[in-house]
Amino acid sequence: MSQPVYINSIKQISAQPPLTEDWFDNPVFYTEQYVRSVEPDYKQFFTPNEARRYGKILKRALLVSRQVMAESGVTQPDAIVTGTGLGCIESTEIFLDKLVREGEEFLNPTHFMQSTHNTIGSLIAIDTQCKSYNNTYSHKGISFECALQDAFLQLQGREEVRRFSTVLVGAHDEMLPAYFTLLVKAGYVGKSNQTFAGETAVAMMLSENKTENTWCKIEAVEKLYGDVRKKMEDVRCETSQVSNLKSQILNPDYIMIGTNGVKENDDVYYENCAKWFPNIPLLQYKNIFGESYSASALGVYAAATCLKRGEIPKHLRITNHKLRTADKSINRILCYNHFENKNHTFILLSK
Amino acid sequence: MDELILKLKNEIIAVLNLEDVKPEDIDENAPLFGEGLGLDSIDALELIVLMEKEYGIKLNDPNQGKDVFKSITIMAEFITANRTK
Repeated sequence: MSQPVYINSIKQISAQPPLTEDWFDNPVFYTEQYVRSVEPDYKQFFTPNEARRYGKILKRALLVSRQVMAESGVTQPDAIVTGTGLGCIESTEIFLDKLVREGEEFLNPTHFMQSTHNTIGSLIAIDTQCKSYNNTYSHKGISFECALQDAFLQLQGREEVRRFSTVLVGAHDEMLPAYFTLLVKAGYVGKSNQTFAGETAVAMMLSENKTENTWCKIEAVEKLYGDVRKKMEDVRCETSQVSNLKSQILNPDYIMIGTNGVKENDDVYYENCAKWFPNIPLLQYKNIFGESYSASALGVYAAATCLKRGEIPKHLRITNHKLRTADKSINRILCYNHFENKNHTFILLSK
Repeated sequence: MDELILKLKNEIIAVLNLEDVKPEDIDENAPLFGEGLGLDSIDALELIVLMEKEYGIKLNDPNQGKDVFKSITIMAEFITANRTK
């Protein structure tokens, strides 16, 4: 039998007030196309040397990681798994900018060292003195799901091969003005009615043990690629006979989807949900948290918060869509994310 | 010399991102590493780049840095004696 996997703490720094659940009752709505994260007062949390050395993404990642460790009572996780679409893009940009402007002779070592994608996981490892498994996934819009699935499988494995009881999972992405401008020119963001381009810093402590702080349980993490409709049909065929787990995926109480106001993106969700999950109420999160490669981690955060608090705030409900039905009990929320209609991911959370 | 010391203080504040530190907060005779500003080995690399970029001084022997970076006054004296730009 598979080992249950619980989220015992989860924290965010985003366009909403950081490290709090204020967004649940008093969300901040934005009309801008580009919104950077609301930064906490780092002086409260970092020494001057740490504050001056680390870039924004590192400060955010380290702070949310420390916060979930404190809330979950874990002083040292057994493993660290990180998802990031762009990595430490600010340090990369500074490093490359100097390379272009000043040549190779006088490059600053700090920005070079912090310009790799796995700097985030490495820094958390140094901070926690975790010398065990440390992996970083960078796969554009499904980076977080890859990291979560790795951690989930490691925790869920058979007892004889299981090595970890706690895994710190993070999803981190920043959005710089120059990169935003490039994405606008390429037609990825800044479209009419599209939600704002934002930034993500989410950390969560996964554990095999349920505690009084537990937010929710992770029932399943599934990824599909390619001919998704056919593959989902296969999943449906198997459910009744073989897999109770897959059956649960197809029968959630709510579905948290990544609609962002762009018709091509949103129609994929609406059409697939109508086909695969008819009459299940739909929820959204990008309307308040924005769009980024790691935004789906904020969807899981929002769903976990709803399960913990036992309610769904009005601003997460998709009320203008014909699929919406009457309220149900809040026991299972499926987080469905797709990236360019090629990668489709499903994360089922339960109370 | 005073002018160079002030310039060095401003350059160090900028290159090491010393938030909330002003030139007058830095004692030019205090040790840069360990105590004083509490700089570390990565900062030493940044200072080596600074010396070469701004003053044309290349420190080939890493051990030389231990003496050169003892304080801002000693740095200024070394720069005055060895600068090529």
